[in-house]
Amino acid sequence: MKAAFSRTLTPFDRQFFTGKEKYTLIGGGELGGKAHGLAYIKQILETQICPQFLPEIQVVIPTLTVITTDFFDLFMKENNLYEVAFSDWRDDIIARAFQRAELPAQLVGDLRALIAQVHTPLAIRSSSMLEDAMFEPFASVYATKMIPNNQLDTDTRFRKLVEAIKYVYASTFFKEAKNYMLATKHTSVDEKMAVIIQEVVGTRHGNRFYPHISGVARSYNFYPLGHAKPRDGIIDLALGLGKIIVDDGIGWSYSPACPQANPPYISLSELLEQSQTEFWAIHMGQPLEHDPIKETEYMLKFNLKDAERDGTLRFIASTYRPQDEKIVFGIAEKGPRLIDFAPILKYDLIPLNKMLRTLLKTCEDTLERMVEVEFALTLDEKHGAPARFGFLQVRPMVVSEAHVDVSLAELSGERVLVASESVLGNGILDTLRDIVFVKPERFSVNQTETIAAQLEKFNNQLVASNAPYLLIGFGRWGSSDPQGGIPVKFGQICGAKVIVESTLPEMNFMLSQGSHFFHNITSFRVFYFSVAHWEKYAIDWNWLRQQKVVSETDFICHIQLSFPLKIKVDGTTSRGVISYA
Amino acid sequence: MSNKSFNSFEMAQSQFDKIAHLLGLDAATRDFLRWPMREYQFLIPLRMDDGQIKIFRGFRVVHNDARGPGKGGIRFHPQESIDTVRALAMWMTWKCALIDIPLGGSNGGIACDPHNLSQREQEQICRGWVRQLVRDLGPHIDVPAPEVMTNAQHMLWMLDEYETIRGEKLPGFITGKPVGMGGSLGRLEATGFGLAFTLREALKELGVPPEDTTASVQGFGNVGQHAIRLYQQMGGKVICVSCWDQKDGTSYSYKKESGVDLSSLLSITDRFGGIDRRKAPGLGYEVLPGSAWLEQDVDILIPAALENQITHDNVKKIRPRVKVIAEGANGPTTSEADKVMAERHIFLIPDILANAGGVTCSYFEQVQSNMNYYWEKDEVLGKLDVKMTGAFNSVLDLAKKENLYMRDAAFFIAIARVARACQDRGWV
Repeated sequence: MKAAFSRTLTPFDRQFFTGKEKYTLIGGGELGGKAHGLAYIKQILETQICPQFLPEIQVVIPTLTVITTDFFDLFMKENNLYEVAFSDWRDDIIARAFQRAELPAQLVGDLRALIAQVHTPLAIRSSSMLEDAMFEPFASVYATKMIPNNQLDTDTRFRKLVEAIKYVYASTFFKEAKNYMLATKHTSVDEKMAVIIQEVVGTRHGNRFYPHISGVARSYNFYPLGHAKPRDGIIDLALGLGKIIVDDGIGWSYSPACPQANPPYISLSELLEQSQTEFWAIHMGQPLEHDPIKETEYMLKFNLKDAERDGTLRFIASTYRPQDEKIVFGIAEKGPRLIDFAPILKYDLIPLNKMLRTLLKTCEDTLERMVEVEFALTLDEKHGAPARFGFLQVRPMVVSEAHVDVSLAELSGERVLVASESVLGNGILDTLRDIVFVKPERFSVNQTETIAAQLEKFNNQLVASNAPYLLIGFGRWGSSDPQGGIPVKFGQICGAKVIVESTLPEMNFMLSQGSHFFHNITSFRVFYFSVAHWEKYAIDWNWLRQQKVVSETDFICHIQLSFPLKIKVDGTTSRGVISYA
Repeated sequence: MSNKSFNSFEMAQSQFDKIAHLLGLDAATRDFLRWPMREYQFLIPLRMDDGQIKIFRGFRVVHNDARGPGKGGIRFHPQESIDTVRALAMWMTWKCALIDIPLGGSNGGIACDPHNLSQREQEQICRGWVRQLVRDLGPHIDVPAPEVMTNAQHMLWMLDEYETIRGEKLPGFITGKPVGMGGSLGRLEATGFGLAFTLREALKELGVPPEDTTASVQGFGNVGQHAIRLYQQMGGKVICVSCWDQKDGTSYSYKKESGVDLSSLLSITDRFGGIDRRKAPGLGYEVLPGSAWLEQDVDILIPAALENQITHDNVKKIRPRVKVIAEGANGPTTSEADKVMAERHIFLIPDILANAGGVTCSYFEQVQSNMNYYWEKDEVLGKLDVKMTGAFNSVLDLAKKENLYMRDAAFFIAIARVARACQDRGWV
């Protein structure tokens, strides 16, 4: 079947934007999961989605060419990189070794021809055999590098493209990827990497290049609130590059069934605090540093004032009016800006929500499972419409729909270690004996990075001894902000089958369902318990402290029980209980 | 190897005459372009290691420098003659013009056999050659490069002699230098890889996937080795390789139906590309006469040794299965053989196109040397591929449009460009 998808892409004819085909491949190997997904959806998008929404929205897969996996194999073999790749060396050492290597001679001519005619930003994306594969829900553990590609000199643009490809290749063997492999019972030997060279959807404003909107749409909502139902799905939108959603977990979340409803914040000031205040863009000016082994070498965060100067807030922002504590439409008035996409979601400037619902439904029908879609959008600078919608990625979601009942009585019963009415996942687990928890008395928001590093060691030991475990900590797991939680990558805690996040009064956070971290949690069927300090259920710390300690550090304790815990999660009510009965 | 009755310069002139007629060049332009602009013939006396003095003949010919400084190799060959050098210089003019690099054509050589010379003797010959020509060589006049039986070491000796005489550092004087001493990354692979790039494009045109093809190669020197390497990476299979055996004074073909293993074959190959006939059977190779490479039942033939190899006498031995001939050597096919190949609709990648990777990369090396700034290998090979593929497509387009044989189309483009440059300069 995969060969059939490959045939939907034609060989690259050295014309990137001007060729007959906008989706091409270089090489005769595999496309990798991400490219495979795009090839799969391409025809449906062109024939079913695009015509429905013209002229308001033009739906496209941004122009791309895929370097197939055979070049990865050749690159690894010709440069004798396997020894370095499978070593325990640090990521930067591996990345530098890859930078010193040479791309295959058969590949560089096509790259040179491509870069000679393209002067706009490019995204160099991983598309591995395991990552994002259509029927294996790997999330993005590998690198994507954006390059401005606006240098006058072809040689410079070519060098930057080559560096980016080598960096993406190297990321196959970074620590996080290796941890991932361990957690999924794969080995790096199984892995092969294709690379997608893709046009970046966006517009240039001075030294910034970014889309007006980027987003993640999911056809299943694990945390439905209010009238929303899980199957309504959930959409996260943000200004600028999608990194803010998938890595930083920030965006405007709404249910596609009720696009006009604001997210559930306690107060307007909280809404403002939690909303987007910065955005990512490709830096088109003089490079700040030459660091080919840094994923964000050409990316910078800017604040909303910069976007306002660029004129990109006009169709996506509202204004907070402090005198009467109101959010008013548009940016005509002075005051703090709120990126709430009101002109689009509430006043239907373009039928984005309708289009996304159709898109999710079509992708679901085509793939016969719940899906997650990443996209980026540019708006007409003067009128908002028409818009150009770039479809970037589709991947399956893992949703368990087995029937599990957790009654209210069970939550407050005896021998309960953790209970919550805000639990992610669905099912029963009764094999865990190991518990790793952050000591509440030692926890500090200033020590979260140290805690993350220590947790990785515990995780590696437990993964090596094939012992899945329950993990308990404070703040948002996977937070990009160390002050907001423990900034682990998923690979650092990949052996945890149940994760508990507990809150502390001084911390304020909201888990974004569009983030890659969240995607991993759901994909690996990890149960995720949220235990807020203001709610009625609490963690039984006393019982935990009485158990046999296997090992501990300043911040973390590992205990092992002589009996398994019983963990029940009811996905329909979001109730869950962990008991030691 | 070349025989006495064959005159490569006559062949080159006859190729030119044919295209000059097609182009309708005027008489003055024809007279100007069918002969070299400048020629040097001189003697190099050398004290041998045994104390004897021997005299070697040296040559340098600049065929045309209307489009830029002369560019061409220096060969060490016992049968080197002025006519061979003239022909090679003329082909260099066309090659540089076809690839569209700002260089003219020249060539040179020394009638000697380096197999029978010590390192010291070779060094003295190199230095002697430069001393004779120092006034007429230079980065902006005429730039030598390695060719048959010369290598990076020879180039470095020549550079050293030139710089010593001139009293300044001029790494752009010569190309094919060792990497780290002014040489370019990728230069070693350039000719063979360039051939493979054009072969890839030819197979695309024919709609044949490389992995469905087999090839036979004449010559296992630098060009043959690298062409085989890249072609095999593309998925093709080389089943026969021929090379000169210095000890036996003849050539042999080495055949392995399952495909040659380049790395193991290289382990029994000397620095001149000679395969050890005695060790080859141990690696599973059948040893056949030197001419057998041409008679193999393959899809692709790659003559990558010397001129005058596919002739009226042996062209009929080419099997019906052969679809493509890619000329790695200069002038390997005689005009008579050409006619037969054209009648059989064998797709030809002519020498001035197929082996132009060497001079293209030499040009890159010269640019880098003149800037004293050196590129990564990826960058060199990327540029090389674009140049080669672009030239291939120009030739193919013209061949299709005007219904020309590929060789004629290549010469047509090249000669037209050079003639135009001469006319624009007001020379003719």
